[in-house]
Amino acid sequence: MEDVQVVAMLVRRCIAGDAAAWEEIVRTYNRRIYNICYRFAGSGDDAEDLTQEVFIKMYRTLASYDHTKGAFITWVTTITRNLLVDHFRKTKQDRVTDSMDTAASEHEDAQPLSEQIQDQSAPPDAHVRSREVSETVHAALARISPELREAVILRDLQDMDYKEIATVLKVPEGTVKSRINRGRAELARLLQRTYRQVM
Amino acid sequence: MPDHTSNGMQCHEFDQLLSEAIDGALSGAELDRFQAHARVCPACGPLLAEAEAGRNWLKGLTEVEPPAGLVTKILASTTGVDTQRLSAAERATQPGVSWWERFEATVLHPFLAPIWATVRQPRFAMSFGMAFFALSVGLTVLGIKPADVRQISLKPAAIRHTFYATEARVVRYYENVRIVYEVESRVREFRRTAPAEPGETSPAKPKGSKNDTSQQPEQKEERNYSQSDSRIILASAHVSQGLNFCDLPVVSVTTYRRFV
Repeated sequence: MEDVQVVAMLVRRCIAGDAAAWEEIVRTYNRRIYNICYRFAGSGDDAEDLTQEVFIKMYRTLASYDHTKGAFITWVTTITRNLLVDHFRKTKQDRVTDSMDTAASEHEDAQPLSEQIQDQSAPPDAHVRSREVSETVHAALARISPELREAVILRDLQDMDYKEIATVLKVPEGTVKSRINRGRAELARLLQRTYRQVM
Repeated sequence: MPDHTSNGMQCHEFDQLLSEAIDGALSGAELDRFQAHARVCPACGPLLAEAEAGRNWLKGLTEVEPPAGLVTKILASTTGVDTQRLSAAERATQPGVSWWERFEATVLHPFLAPIWATVRQPRFAMSFGMAFFALSVGLTVLGIKPADVRQISLKPAAIRHTFYATEARVVRYYENVRIVYEVESRVREFRRTAPAEPGETSPAKPKGSKNDTSQQPEQKEERNYSQSDSRIILASAHVSQGLNFCDLPVVSVTTYRRFV
């Protein structure tokens, strides 16, 4: 994906104070980082804030990047993942409160996700239907545990190989594979349950 | 996961190969063993199906577009200067922009932005504030008022006049200081040499002159004349040949203090 020499040169220029080089890095990697954050955090606003935080962290620690130790994209993804873990820990209490609120509202309305989908009139347009499916999968992804979620995001959405994922997550390759399998299976179970109710 | 052994493969081994199998990386005998285990194992068979389904769901997800201003925001939060250039450039490319705005965005802004970015820094503002404070205090101490500056004439004659006046003031000040020092040194010298020559000193006052009150009654009488209620005034007269001193008439005069 990245030419090691080109990226190393870009980073060197950046460290030397070349603003254009930094702008190029931001333009190259913002989409990827935003997508990782969006799929993990589940919200566009959170993803935007987290992406900015990732780049601020990158900007401050760019001098610590050593191209002999690994690819730049792995380094960037590691920073992203660490910030996502921090964010997850920080917002744990909020999520507990939110889930309690959601549970209460679910009791009141007695309308789970499958019924919400069912209530909507079937859109004739395939594009709209595809968007709906994407939203359902995205919502289901947010429900699986964070360890499994990050593994499947990096593998199936970011196409990273197992070795790179193992470096980012700091776990052995066998654990990475196991997490990916369990994550995929859990997601499928969630979606099958949802669509079985819809059908 | 229960660890069954089917067709020479255990469930944990199946789990390790599951990712490669889904990726299509397995082949030959290993693939056959894997498929055989999936067919007979009640736990691993459904797991393979679910994992494949999950992967297909995830592969159906497309990348989302980041918000429009994300790059600008990132650059603003990291470098700052580039953001102004970027936003200015973005404004310049928009349709319906006047020539002045275009000129400002493409020529003026890139030139002024770095200066403005430096000026906006708190460190610069603090230094500027301190310099201004020091200057104002200095001008106040020197007695220079900003209102006077307006009245300064910059004509050559006026500048020459100011120069000579200032020079004269400085010389006068120097001379005055010199004279004062000379006088002071002379006085000091005079005091130092005075005890060595007692004869030259001023005539000493007689001892006890301060306490001498012999003349005071007269003075007191003169000062306190209005305080006595009555006084006998002896009229003087020429003592003639034929007149005895004792025959002089005695006149008694009473004075009254008048209160106003």
